[in-house]
Amino acid sequence: MTTVLLVDDERLILRSLEKTLLRAGFDVITASDCKSGSATFAQNASAVNIAVLDLNMPGFEGIPKTGAGLDLLGDLKKQSPALPVIILTAYDEVNKAKEAVSGGANAFFVKGREQGLVELIQKILQG
Amino acid sequence: MTHIDPRRLPQILYIDRNDETRALVRRLLSHKYIILEATDPLDGLQLAEETHPNLILVDNNLPHITGSEATTRLRKMLPKTPIVIISADLAPGSRERALAAGAIGFIAKPIDADFEDQMDAYLNGKIEVLEDAEKHLLIYQQELVERLEGNTRQLTATVDKNKHLLQQNERMFSMLERRHKLLETAARVGQVVTSILDLDELLKYTVNIIRDEFELYYSGIFLVSDDEQWAILRAGYGEAGKKMMAQNYRLRVDEKSMIGNSILSQHARIALDAVGEESRFKNPFLPDTRSEMALPLVVKRRALGALTVQSKHLNAFTEEDITSLQAMADQVAVAINNAQLMLKLEDATSELVRTKTFEAIATATGEAIHWVGNKAAPIPGSVKRVREDLTYIFAIAAQFAPREANPQNEALIAAAQIIKEEAQEKGLDLEKALKEMSAMKLNQLRALVSVESLLEDLDIASNSAETILSIKEGLIGPARQRTDASVSLREMITDTVANMGLPEGVVEMEWADDLPNAFVDARQVEQVFNNLIKNGWEAMLNVTPDPKIYVHGRRDDNFVLVTIKDNGPGIPKNIQEKIWVSFFTTKGGSGGTGLGLSSVMQIVDQHGGSISLESEEGAGAMFSVRLPAAKQVES
Repeated sequence: MTTVLLVDDERLILRSLEKTLLRAGFDVITASDCKSGSATFAQNASAVNIAVLDLNMPGFEGIPKTGAGLDLLGDLKKQSPALPVIILTAYDEVNKAKEAVSGGANAFFVKGREQGLVELIQKILQG
Repeated sequence: MTHIDPRRLPQILYIDRNDETRALVRRLLSHKYIILEATDPLDGLQLAEETHPNLILVDNNLPHITGSEATTRLRKMLPKTPIVIISADLAPGSRERALAAGAIGFIAKPIDADFEDQMDAYLNGKIEVLEDAEKHLLIYQQELVERLEGNTRQLTATVDKNKHLLQQNERMFSMLERRHKLLETAARVGQVVTSILDLDELLKYTVNIIRDEFELYYSGIFLVSDDEQWAILRAGYGEAGKKMMAQNYRLRVDEKSMIGNSILSQHARIALDAVGEESRFKNPFLPDTRSEMALPLVVKRRALGALTVQSKHLNAFTEEDITSLQAMADQVAVAINNAQLMLKLEDATSELVRTKTFEAIATATGEAIHWVGNKAAPIPGSVKRVREDLTYIFAIAAQFAPREANPQNEALIAAAQIIKEEAQEKGLDLEKALKEMSAMKLNQLRALVSVESLLEDLDIASNSAETILSIKEGLIGPARQRTDASVSLREMITDTVANMGLPEGVVEMEWADDLPNAFVDARQVEQVFNNLIKNGWEAMLNVTPDPKIYVHGRRDDNFVLVTIKDNGPGIPKNIQEKIWVSFFTTKGGSGGTGLGLSSVMQIVDQHGGSISLESEEGAGAMFSVRLPAAKQVES
């Protein structure tokens, strides 16, 4: 059973993505900010196959921060260097994309059709 | 010792230009005679008239007139006074000439010991007799005549020369006067012309003033086309000019016309007899032209065009005029160049403004689109799930088939039938759904027909749509209508800051004692301050070592002035314009809907207030918000 760690601070998006992933056959663990995302991963490290992190959410200081997702990316990679990670974002931010990839992310996904994310996850896990 | 009364000593007038001789004579005679001296015969004559000396001693070698002539004149003036000529001329006849001239004595130089005695003798009445007086008189007179004639000739020649010089001077003077006037006019024209930056106005003004100041028949300005092949008439004096321009009058830039020629060669061209001149293009609009000049308008070695000046008179222009007028043409060229550059600059500026505006709009639109896309993202997924779930639910509902139909369940049976039929029509495969469900475990089944899940998905879709709509309405729709009330900004902002969850000590607030309430829509204004404070914080996060936000509130006339100042990185000038256009800041989260500064400005504007920004890169940013104060209620 493939398990996805999903971290996003927008309730509606988090819930909807979670259900889409569930229906696609994944197991989903969720968190809504960097701190809880890191803790949740630590608790489930062995089970999680891939992490999907929103770019803009409350950071480790507990306050909303642009690019907080990249901080969490770094943290997770420290915990598990081989973990595949996708960074989610609302905007087409090219320089953030570069930063994400150089920080170890496998892909940068602009939120739109949820099905696209499912396909991306499948591609990464297969590849 | 006999006392000699000087007043009674005889006076001798001595005319000699030689200082030494005079000194000698003085030495020899002054013990018994009074010596009056003159170095110049004319002075001598005057002195003689004044003093009536007893004797006049005249040296023969005098300036201006000879001693003889002086003698003759003296004789005429004072017939009784003895005149003695003293001369170094020992040529034969010199003594005779002297006597013929009217002298009664002749003393040869050098002056010797006899001198005193001789002078005594003459004073006592000695007269030397001239033999053959007539003959010598004649010779003398002839000499006189010749000399006079010679003098006359000299004088005439001098007068002629002077007349000639005078004429020359007059000519030169009038030429200078003319050149002066030209230069003056040229300078005046040049000065005014360089201050006109509008090209059309400049050209019109120039042709008019040149024509008027120089009293010409016509003047016009041609400017070269972009391909530099044509000189196009851009301004022309009077009716002729108007008509020619209406016809788009133009000349090729080649040697054939004066204008073309002057542009090609970058040299003035002049035609003094326009009727006969080869390289002049006969212009039917200007039939009275008799002389003409074309002056190229050159700036930095590039010919922009040419100026034509035309006169009804022949030979109205000289080569010298070219210098003065070319100087003026050069200034006109500079003015035209400046006006053209000004046009280019205006174009470039409006181009730049357009580009920047488009950029700003594109940025704003892009962000807006992304935001909407983000909020809308859950909707398709949720709706798909609802659709899927409904298939299963319909499948179950369609199965409703009680063993027997009775009045209570007739409707239900019919309903179940309707569901079955329509589902089929719509292509929902209820059979397949039933099959799947039969094969499932309870857990899976639970997920499929979960009423909770279905309602939740509808909620997700609905809330997402609501969020989008509320933003839209917040910005451009009915919610713009405000419910104004007397609001304490101090309370509002204090609450807002508390809800933002910023670390302790970051925000410092100071409120004036007489701070009035503001008369505003609380919901909208709350968003304004939320936005401003959040922006400040986010800019400083992880950037500024000791981040601080100072909020001050006080009264400012009929307004409440709230300033929000941070010590963050500040906003560079080139971004300061963009921030007002950028549509959204963050996507949501705990800080509100993130309206962005453009909305902030709109809200403040609509309340009749104002907002401004002061910031410099590296020196923080301060927003000043003015909102109308609530009228104090007299209690």
